[in-house]
Amino acid sequence: MIKTGRYGLVKWDPTGAIPPAVGLVAVISLNKWKASFKTDKLDVTCFQDVNRVYIPGMKDVSGTVSGFWNSDELALFEAADAEAPGTLELSPNTTEAFSWTGLAYMDADIDCSVDGAPAVSGTFMAAGPWTQNGGTLLARRAENKAA
Amino acid sequence: MPSPPDSAAIGNALIGHLLADTELAGLMPDGVYRDVARAGKKQYVIVSLVDSVDQATYEGRAIESALYLVKAVALNNAAAVEAAAARIDQLIEDQFWPIAPGLDLMAASRVAPIGTVTELDAVDPDLRWTHRGGRYRLDVAVTYARTLAPLGLARGTDQNERVTP
Repeated sequence: MIKTGRYGLVKWDPTGAIPPAVGLVAVISLNKWKASFKTDKLDVTCFQDVNRVYIPGMKDVSGTVSGFWNSDELALFEAADAEAPGTLELSPNTTEAFSWTGLAYMDADIDCSVDGAPAVSGTFMAAGPWTQNGGTLLARRAENKAA
Repeated sequence: MPSPPDSAAIGNALIGHLLADTELAGLMPDGVYRDVARAGKKQYVIVSLVDSVDQATYEGRAIESALYLVKAVALNNAAAVEAAAARIDQLIEDQFWPIAPGLDLMAASRVAPIGTVTELDAVDPDLRWTHRGGRYRLDVAVTYARTLAPLGLARGTDQNERVTP
């Protein structure tokens, strides 16, 4: 079902527990996250091919989170200082049980301007396998129905 | 799910803040009014909401940025208007005052001055109304806690009891 991003959520556990343990808590004052699951494509074009041909290589998982600076919420900056990866969970909408979770390294940025609330942002990159939790592909559902 | 605080409190608090100042009351004895003064008043302050923008986080409304026109208005008393406009600026620029539970003033600043404007009275052209003031932006943090009920993700009582205001 299509859902609004208004109820999105970012959770972080600095201990890096997998599967996520009780240490996974919401990072507050964020209002945007973005993840990319791009897979490298290797060019295997050969003589006589009529167009370029690719095969998939390794998937990359990385992205960004952003929001407002809140001095009660230092998780992002503590994560940027951490030498070990933590567990990151990204939920598009907390009204359904769907999220992506995995180990990640974090970087943090802050942008403080005279004419607005200071904004924070962070970038993450995978430090281990990422999993997709919940959800069913419509195509797979159709296959199951047919079976 | 609790509702965010009533935004009207921001304007009400601004008006209350101006009304509480005895120096401004001496310059503008007819009071402070929202949008339009009562009939017959000749020396007063007008407060009008010009524009307002909300900014949200995943926990709900986080910041209200409200732009107010605040100006002194007087009949045949330009000197009082100029003094009152200066006092209004002292009372708002970089000042802080309480608004309401769940609404905390983060910053108050003028974004545009309104120089002295003189207009003739609509009935008697021998009478002159003078206006002066500015447009002030109030950035207000909304600190109410929305409950993320569907998955039990209540703010302030998160899974490891971490305090999330």
